[in-house]
Amino acid sequence: MKVLILVLVVIAALTVIASGVWVAVALIHAICPPRQSPPARGSSPDAQEPSDDRSGA
Amino acid sequence: MDTVLSGAAIAVYVTLLVFVALRARAAREFEDFSVAKRELPLALIFGSIAADYIGPGFSIGFVGRGFKSGFLFLAVGLAYAVQNIFVGLLVAPKLRQLKDCYTLGDAIGQKYDRKCQILAGVISVALCTSFSAVMISAGSVVLDDIFGLPRWLSVSVIAVVTASYTTFGGLRASVITDAFHFVLFALLLPVTLLYALLFHFQGGAASFSQQAFAATADGFSSTPTIQIIGFVAAFLLGETLIPPYANLALASKTTKVSRNGFILAGIFSTLWFAVMIAIGIVARTVVAGDTKQDYVLLSFVGSVMPHAGYSLLLVALVSIVLSSLDSLLNAGAVVFTQDIIRRFSKLPDALALKAGRYSTIIIAGVAAAAAVFVPSVIEGLLACYSIWAPAILPALIFGLWLKAPRPLAGILSMCTGTLVAVTFQFVLPTLVNVPAIIPALGSALLAYLFGHCLGKTNSGT
Repeated sequence: MKVLILVLVVIAALTVIASGVWVAVALIHAICPPRQSPPARGSSPDAQEPSDDRSGA
Repeated sequence: MDTVLSGAAIAVYVTLLVFVALRARAAREFEDFSVAKRELPLALIFGSIAADYIGPGFSIGFVGRGFKSGFLFLAVGLAYAVQNIFVGLLVAPKLRQLKDCYTLGDAIGQKYDRKCQILAGVISVALCTSFSAVMISAGSVVLDDIFGLPRWLSVSVIAVVTASYTTFGGLRASVITDAFHFVLFALLLPVTLLYALLFHFQGGAASFSQQAFAATADGFSSTPTIQIIGFVAAFLLGETLIPPYANLALASKTTKVSRNGFILAGIFSTLWFAVMIAIGIVARTVVAGDTKQDYVLLSFVGSVMPHAGYSLLLVALVSIVLSSLDSLLNAGAVVFTQDIIRRFSKLPDALALKAGRYSTIIIAGVAAAAAVFVPSVIEGLLACYSIWAPAILPALIFGLWLKAPRPLAGILSMCTGTLVAVTFQFVLPTLVNVPAIIPALGSALLAYLFGHCLGKTNSGT
């Protein structure tokens, strides 16, 4: 029981750190988006799949 | 050497913040300014919600509570997680589905009528300004601690820095900088805990659990049951869908992102509270027992971390305040423009954007002036919570779920909730021995029921 409490606290701390890393990656993508390669010959933007439920936009 | 390292830490933080804010780019349309074109992905929505709710109360406050009451407040904090998960499951996707909706007032206006939207707008702007005043006050305390600035100057610095990037970048800048701040404190504070456990805590798991049990027992014996009920009510309802969160629900890329963002943020809150309370428990072996709750975190980090680490923590605390403040300023400005100005005049998009920017500056100015008079951060926050939930939640939630909500019910519930909350919070605080939020919420629900029975549907008026 005594060890379990400390182990749970350490797991919580590591999960918080992991969340920070996840958001950091998303942040880097948002402020420095990867360069998109030019569309392949023969493909058109119309051929791309539409995104899901963007209602309200 | 220590001073150089501290200065370098703060300089790196400011440089990174400026870089991130500049990369967020200026908003060019009102839809960009208000809901970031509804393009925000899950990680940014999650990070921004978490950065918004982790203010001084959920960091400094929870460490102090852990120091005095052990895991008692983890149980209270569970109410907050439950609230976020329920919002994610039941409310956020429904909000996101509404078309042409920029604010909670828009949602209320679509479900009830124009008068309800304006009333919701006035309440939201007043609450956003009050919340902002509390945040500016909290930030100025931290700046005073770092630089020893006079109060008026630290208040001005916090207000000007935050208003500057929020004015130009709108919601997108707010969310991007929130994510940056979230990363900072989600890394720095757990690392502080692990560092202290590894290098400064004597006695291992047995000593930790002994301290935790002793503090929790102290907490239960020194906190009256009615006070615990009041805390649970405030955590469960007080911050539910305040305008910054509602804007994030509306700005999500999809309804799924909107739902999952709130659910993840709810789960994360429990982990965060556990970490903050654990820091408080570890601090019991390091910090003097008579230390005031609000100073436990600063004293603890000052004792166990190298000087540069202490400076980094102060930076993290400033970032905690800024991340809550920018969202409040943006939400207040969007609500003022959309729910009040645009209800009286048909503004084209460019003028609406301009109005949003000026509103941000005005709200920041009013909040900065009011910040000097905020008596205490926790008291200020609890006062805002006591008014928000009774004033808005019954009208909003019934409006989203009932097939034909009645405008009279919306108006009565918002007016009654606000008046009863203000009366019990400020005018007659000792009249009943329960937190103001409970009688105010009860009255608002009764008023809603009364209005629903007597009123006509929107189409019938």
